[in-house]
Amino acid sequence: MRTLLLSALLSAAAFAQGPADPVTGEPGAPKAVGVADGGLLDAVAPAPLSAGGAGASGPSPTPQPKKIDPKLFDEALNDYFGNRPKDAAAKLFEYTENVPSTDENYAWAQFFLARSLIELKLNHAGAVYLARIARERTNPAVLPKALEELQKLTDLPHDEVMIDEQVFGALDLGFLPEEVAGYAHYQQGLVDLRVGNERWATTHFSKLPEGSSEASRARYAMLVTRLKTAKKDIPEKMIEEFGELAKDDKLTADARNDSMLAVARLRYELKDFNGALEAYGQVQLPPLDPGRASLYLEEAWTRYQLGQVHAAMGILTTLDAPSFREEFLPDKYLLKALIYRDLCHYLPAKRAAKELTRKYADSLDAIRERYDLTEDTRLLRAASARGSTKRARRFLESLDLEGEQLGRYAGSFGDRMFGYMSGLYDLARAEALRVYNARLRESVRVEADKLLRAAEQVRLMEYEVGLKLYERVKKGAKLVKLIEEEPLGPHQVAFRFVDEYWNDELRSYRFSLKSRCIEETAR
Amino acid sequence: MHKTLVVLSLLAPTAALAQLQELENPGTVSAIQERAYRMQHELNLAVGLLPQDAFYKGLTVKGSYGFHFTDYFAAQGYFTYSYNLPTSLRQQLERDFGVLPTAFDEVQFFFGGDLMWKPLYGKLSVMNRTVIHGEVWLLLGGAGFKFTNTFRPGINIGGGGRWFISQYVSLRLDVTDYIVLPVGGGSTSFTNVLSMTLALALNFGGAE
Repeated sequence: MRTLLLSALLSAAAFAQGPADPVTGEPGAPKAVGVADGGLLDAVAPAPLSAGGAGASGPSPTPQPKKIDPKLFDEALNDYFGNRPKDAAAKLFEYTENVPSTDENYAWAQFFLARSLIELKLNHAGAVYLARIARERTNPAVLPKALEELQKLTDLPHDEVMIDEQVFGALDLGFLPEEVAGYAHYQQGLVDLRVGNERWATTHFSKLPEGSSEASRARYAMLVTRLKTAKKDIPEKMIEEFGELAKDDKLTADARNDSMLAVARLRYELKDFNGALEAYGQVQLPPLDPGRASLYLEEAWTRYQLGQVHAAMGILTTLDAPSFREEFLPDKYLLKALIYRDLCHYLPAKRAAKELTRKYADSLDAIRERYDLTEDTRLLRAASARGSTKRARRFLESLDLEGEQLGRYAGSFGDRMFGYMSGLYDLARAEALRVYNARLRESVRVEADKLLRAAEQVRLMEYEVGLKLYERVKKGAKLVKLIEEEPLGPHQVAFRFVDEYWNDELRSYRFSLKSRCIEETAR
Repeated sequence: MHKTLVVLSLLAPTAALAQLQELENPGTVSAIQERAYRMQHELNLAVGLLPQDAFYKGLTVKGSYGFHFTDYFAAQGYFTYSYNLPTSLRQQLERDFGVLPTAFDEVQFFFGGDLMWKPLYGKLSVMNRTVIHGEVWLLLGGAGFKFTNTFRPGINIGGGGRWFISQYVSLRLDVTDYIVLPVGGGSTSFTNVLSMTLALALNFGGAE
């Protein structure tokens, strides 16, 4: 259990850093490499206008730049500010392809091309142009604006290598405006943390403006990294620091909740179950939000450790809600079986234990038969729902969507731009798929391990319950009252559960069942 | 005897099935929540109708104070003033048949006190978007009525419901039937006065 919780803690703590947080890369997970935006741009150099004219073998010759009317740039800007991004994008593309990079409007053209593409919901293409501005730096006035736009894109699924590592992680920070520099320092610190260079990371983080959101996020990243590297003892100070972060308004609500979850998990590890329960209770969910399955399961374990088996079982009822039907929680069945066993209801305990092997029969078969685990629907879903794999999946999905979106502009963009964009998206998708598959293989193995461990525990439980089931009851044995149900308070109201889940009740279910333990068999 | 055996043998499988169900899925689950809204000192300002009398319709304004002893029981006192509008029937009687206006005994105001029993408290899902809370009650009380020509006592029964807008503000709807006793003013029969009110209620206390 301890190992399980610790691994959950680490993975969740890593996951908690959100999409813009590369510290979350799980140990051993391959890092995405090689999508340098420059490389990508070179690779998808514009196709020739005359598609059939090139020789059958060898690359097509790069078309010669044609002479461009300088008014084209002004027309494009008129289109852009006239809320016609489709027309603006086509003109700006033509402009950027046919003027030298020394042209005074070249960087602005790239910038507005990127903005137009983003407005057309082609975020990745826009990001590629913004990254190009950051890399080429032909116009210092455009650079901060491009970086600001890129920073906004990091809130959405994005190419982490191209934006986080190759732009923000590699920027020369001397000349940037404070806000962008803060974000860049934060990203560079994260890159340093990921490669294990805490000292360099500290140098970057120390340059963040005190009280900024980046400073808070940096503190969080540092704490998570230290937690990962902590050998045995978890310092109490670390819990306090996570607790402070959980109250930091500059962090997003998700990050604050993750900090509070970290507090709860660390206290659990220290066997301070009351403290852990208190921390779980302080995780703030939006009204009527179904919440996170992992939060409920951890709270259920905590309550179980405190002997509050009826409350723990109530939370397990929550986890049967439709919102969590697709969640991968093999532990749930184990805990249910444990609770029934503790209340000496052995048949239901056995049934709950068997439920795990029944529900995950296909996945367990796949593991035993050494099939490709990424083909197993449950494992695949579980593996791609967390951490860096989830981010890779979301980026891949966004590329697919944007690729479809691109098709709508085939006519407006013209052959050359459409061909260029299609190539750009094809390459990006191929690379995103490669990254996703690499991360998925690792994640799916982790989930399979989790399932196998739970299945093993369940087999033990079945055996133990089997023995109890056929234990002789001595004459005159009396029922013992070991586990009391909490009575209904005067200010409380009870809604009997009849298979209808209400989101506002998900954290409130209580199970009512009398213990059948007799003196001899009581725990 | 024979019949009893047949009945028992027929019931046996049902009992066995119930037992099996209990063995396989023992226990019950309830959502135990802190009561979201609790009342203590309640002030109401209500508007309403006295719709029953054929000769006039009363538009009422009512003020009341209620004290909630528990989440289930409360007592309230009120005063209601009625502004009466004659119906066309009454106008016709006065115009065509010379009936004197004093012949129509109208409610001018009334006051009283009620005991409230609030057995129902619950919530409703609104379009699966939000949840609203409310309660429903029955009430029983006594009242004093000032009619045009006389003053008479009465008893009343009724019911109502409340929609909680916040801990401090709620909307309540009451429907009460007053049975005015044939006491005083030479009256010889019971009179029914139906009152419907819609109130804005302010609550003080009760949050703890």
